[in-house]
Amino acid sequence: MFNYTFQWKQALARLPQMLDGAVVTMQVALLSMAIGIALAVVLTLFRLSGSRILSGIATSWVEIARNTPALFQIYMAHFGVASFGIHFSPWTSLLLGITFNNAGYLAENFRGALKAIPDTQARAGRSLGLSELQAFRFIVMPQMLRISFLPMTNQMVWAILMTSLGVTVGMNTDLYGVTQDLNALTFRTFELFAVAAVIFYLITKVIQLGARLLARRMFRY
Amino acid sequence: MKFASIIAAAVATASMAAPALADKLDDIIASGKLRCAVVLDFPPMGSRDANNQPIGFDVDYCNDLAAALGVQAEIVETTFPERIPALVSGQVDIGVASTSDTLERAKTVGFSIPYYAFENAVVANDKVEMADWEGMKGKTVGATAGTYEAIWLEGQVKEWGEGQFRPYQNQADVFLALSQGQLDATVSTVEVAEANVKSGNFPGIRIVDKAPMVPDYVALIALRSEHGLIDYLNLFINQQVRTGRYAELYAKWVGEGEPADLTIKGVYR
Repeated sequence: MFNYTFQWKQALARLPQMLDGAVVTMQVALLSMAIGIALAVVLTLFRLSGSRILSGIATSWVEIARNTPALFQIYMAHFGVASFGIHFSPWTSLLLGITFNNAGYLAENFRGALKAIPDTQARAGRSLGLSELQAFRFIVMPQMLRISFLPMTNQMVWAILMTSLGVTVGMNTDLYGVTQDLNALTFRTFELFAVAAVIFYLITKVIQLGARLLARRMFRY
Repeated sequence: MKFASIIAAAVATASMAAPALADKLDDIIASGKLRCAVVLDFPPMGSRDANNQPIGFDVDYCNDLAAALGVQAEIVETTFPERIPALVSGQVDIGVASTSDTLERAKTVGFSIPYYAFENAVVANDKVEMADWEGMKGKTVGATAGTYEAIWLEGQVKEWGEGQFRPYQNQADVFLALSQGQLDATVSTVEVAEANVKSGNFPGIRIVDKAPMVPDYVALIALRSEHGLIDYLNLFINQQVRTGRYAELYAKWVGEGEPADLTIKGVYR
């Protein structure tokens, strides 16, 4: 199969550069999650608003985000908008693309979570004199976020992995971009990408474990 | 009698063992097929015609080599970064893919002698003022990821300490970004630059200057351990030049003028 001698030292010598890339990857993913959650809450409100236009916007956002490849979304955030004269750097394009994707998926998670919260709770809140928005803010939303906490971690993992699509828009500072740059330089494809894969695995594993511990602390009934 | 049978046994064993010693060159001849990795996003070296068939300098080069070996050529399309995995995992026998023969890379794969040499040009967006290549300083520049010119340009941007470098995944994206104004300038081979400016697919770009780099000598690649095959490739490249086929392919795919000199004065290969 492999007619080739692996030289792991060659790849490990580049580890510091790759770890710098991993930091950028985490920055982009975390930021895209934070903005994505905020946007998803807004989209959820749009859907609940009863307004045709607002729920139309939310529905089309969710439909496009969930039913087209993330690669397409990121590519459009760079080359697509540029044909209208708007120029985003690779970093910004990647962030926008992943955020768009996150918001769509999370809005759908939130919709599922809302189904698990009885209507009567919001109505009870209303009868106690809360406004509609207050009832959402203080009664429904905390439960919604709690129920969809673990799906959110899933999306976070996705966001980390999606950063690897940044290379299509010229990104070369994230983990995958750095790895590909080094690959062009040295042709040590297998060693470098194996190291990158291990780093990706460790990052996502730490996120999953961290989220589980956090959930155990935060959501004690 | 006994002695003769021992000899017979030895001969039989030797002849049976012989195939196990076969190298890649034998494998290619025996299989009747030569599989070449070619980048088909890199005209005029490699591209596809209207019927989606692979064409270009590199494609013809592979066909010539297969004819010399008396086998069928099989073109396997790869991107620049995929050349090496395709070679190392045995999906292709050799790469005819404009691979620059850097010392860093030669630690990983085996290079033949150069079979072509590129000069590189600086191409800029029309809206950007740029008199010569040094005008790229402080600008947003980019090139095709994994190429010699991209490595050079990234190094140059680091040396200047200002401006930004962006590698895109293929040549088309680089020129799209340049045409859109996302890049101020790029460096590409003169061949590609001229073809893209002329094609009109990417409006609003112009060739500014030659890039001041050592000519980009490109070589055929094979597994580093396959000396028999690499020796054959070297002789084949020599023969291509000697017989005038190199000049013929240059005229066919690149156009007027002299093809690049593949020898270097003052040193043995």
